[in-house]
Amino acid sequence: MPQATIPLRLYVVVVLYDVVSAYIVDSDPVLRVSGVTMAYGENQVLRGIDLEVAAGQILGLVGANGAGKTTLISIVTGLLPCDRGSVAVAGIDALAHPKRAARYLGLAPQELGIYPTLTARENLYDFARLAGLDSRAARTRTLEVAELLGLTDQLGLRGDQLSGGQKRRLHTAMAILHRPQLLLLDEPTVGADVTSRAGILKIVRAMATEGTAVLYTTHYLTELEQLDAEIAVLDGGVIAVHGSCREVVQRWGRASVVLRFTGPAPELEGWTANGSRLTPTHPVTDPGAAAAAALVALGPQVTRLVGLDVARPSLESAYLAITGHVFSEEAGSDLAA
Amino acid sequence: MISRRSLVVARISRQLLLTDPASTIMMVVMPLILAPFLAPAAKAQLQLAGYPAASGGDQIIPGLAVLFAFLSTQLVGTLFFREHAWGTWNRLRASPASTADIVLGKVAPLYVAQLLELGVLLSAGWLLFGYRPNGSVLALALVVATFAAMLVAFGVMLVALFSSMDMALVLGGLGGMVMAGLGGALAPVSSLPSWAQVAAHFSPAYWALNAMRSITLDQAGLVDVAGSIGVLLLFGVGFSAVVAWRFRPAAVKIGTT
Repeated sequence: MPQATIPLRLYVVVVLYDVVSAYIVDSDPVLRVSGVTMAYGENQVLRGIDLEVAAGQILGLVGANGAGKTTLISIVTGLLPCDRGSVAVAGIDALAHPKRAARYLGLAPQELGIYPTLTARENLYDFARLAGLDSRAARTRTLEVAELLGLTDQLGLRGDQLSGGQKRRLHTAMAILHRPQLLLLDEPTVGADVTSRAGILKIVRAMATEGTAVLYTTHYLTELEQLDAEIAVLDGGVIAVHGSCREVVQRWGRASVVLRFTGPAPELEGWTANGSRLTPTHPVTDPGAAAAAALVALGPQVTRLVGLDVARPSLESAYLAITGHVFSEEAGSDLAA
Repeated sequence: MISRRSLVVARISRQLLLTDPASTIMMVVMPLILAPFLAPAAKAQLQLAGYPAASGGDQIIPGLAVLFAFLSTQLVGTLFFREHAWGTWNRLRASPASTADIVLGKVAPLYVAQLLELGVLLSAGWLLFGYRPNGSVLALALVVATFAAMLVAFGVMLVALFSSMDMALVLGGLGGMVMAGLGGALAPVSSLPSWAQVAAHFSPAYWALNAMRSITLDQAGLVDVAGSIGVLLLFGVGFSAVVAWRFRPAAVKIGTT
C-alpha cells in the first residue's frame, strides 16, 4: 500500500540521515583552525595556522613569548578578529557566530580573571549561569567543580582572600562549569604551587578522558609530557612541528652526558674535551649506556672523575632544538602538520 | 528586552556594588552634610526671586542631588574599568553573552543605584530640609528617571572615550561639576553671569533642575515639564550615540583595582 510505504521509506531515510550525521559529527574535530592569519600592524604573528583538536585529545601549543599562542586562542574565542582563515568549534563557524560557538567552549585566559570582592562560590555560580546553566544546575555544578579542584573549604572566601594557587584553581574551575566540548587553557599553571599544579593537570586529564578537547598552552613542558599531549610548536607564525609528545621527543629530543674531572679532561675517542668537561662528540640516543661505556674506556683516569650528569631526551630539549631551527638543517619537517 | 544573560551580568554588577558601597553611601551622605550650610543662603535667594514661602531646601536639595548624581557617574567608570583590571572583562566577552548583554547588564544596576541615590536624597530633603515638590509627583518621578538614565549613558560614554580609569574619572568628575554648576545646582541660573545663563542651556543639569524647580516652586505638572524631559532624553540619546560609535569591546583599558 502506497500510504504505508511512504512513511516507511521516510523513516528509513531519517534513520540513515541520523546515523550518517552522527558519524560525521563524531568524526569531526571539536576545534578546526584553517589558514588563520593575523598581523598586528606590520608584525605578522600568525601565518596560516592549521590545527585540529579532536574530542578527548589534549593539544599542547608551545612557543616563545609573543609567538602568537594567546592571539590564536583569542581568535578561537572571538576576542580578536583574524585577517584570514576559518575557525570551527563543534562544527560552528566561530568567526561568523562567536556567541553560538561560545556555548561549547570554556576559556581560562592567561591573565587571572576572578572577581576579588565576590566569594569563590559567587564567582563559580555566576559564571555557571552565564554559561547557560539553570539555577539548580549551577548550584550543583559549583559544588562539584569546587570539590574537583579542592576549593570546597574556600567557597565562602572572597577572591582576594584566596592564596595564589587557590585563585589559579578558581580561575580554571570557572572555565569547566558547563562541561565544555572545547577547553582552552592559556598557561593555566602560572603562579600555581605544586599542589595546585597537580590538581589542574588532574582535571585536564579527567576532562579529556570524558571527551573534552583541550587546547593547552604552557612554558612548563614537563606538564605536556605528564599529560602525554599532542604537541604543536608555534614558531615564526607557523606550526613548525606537530606530532605526539613521544614522536616529537624521539625526533628532536637531545640526550646529554657530561663527565666532569679534576683538572683538564682526558682525551677519549668519540668525546670532546672542553676544559675539565667531556661531552659526546655526536648526539647519543642512550645517554646511560654512553656514560657507562665512557667510564670503562677511561681506565685509571676514572679516578679523576668528580661528576657525571646524564639527561634523557625531553620535550624541552626537543623544543629548543626545534625553535633553534636545528630541525630545518638536519631532519626536514616530516612531522610538521 | 533584557536577556537572561543580561540578568546574570546585572546580578554580578549588583553584587559588586553591594560589596563596595562606600562610594554610593558617600554620594548620599555628603549632600546631606552640606545642605544645612547652604540652605539659608538658598532660602534668601528664593525669597528675593519672589518665593516668600520657599525653604532653602527647595533650591538646595534638587541642586545637590543633581551635582552628586553627576559625581556618581564615576561608579559607571569604576564598574567597567575594574573588569579590565580584574581580568574578568575578557571572560565575560568569551562567554555566550553578547556585548549588548554585558553592557546592558552592567548599566541596569547602576541605573537602579542612581534612582535610589536621587530618591533617598529627595526624601531626606523632604524630611529634614523642608523640600516640598508641590506639583506633580509623577512628573518629578519621570524627570528623575530620565535624568538618571541620561547620567548612566554619560558614564558609559566616558568609558567608551577614555582608555584609562583615572582619566575617565577625573574628566568625568570635572565635566559633571561644570555641567551641574552651569545648570544651577549651586545657585539659581538667574544669578549667574549672562554668558553662563546662555551656556546653561547646553547642560542637561539645567533641564533637570529647571523641571524640578517648576514642580517644586510653580506646582508644575507633567505637561509643563515635558519639554525638559524631552531635552534630557535627547542628551541621553546623544551620549548613547557616542557610545555606539566609540565603544570597542576589544579595546585595552587600564583600570585599577
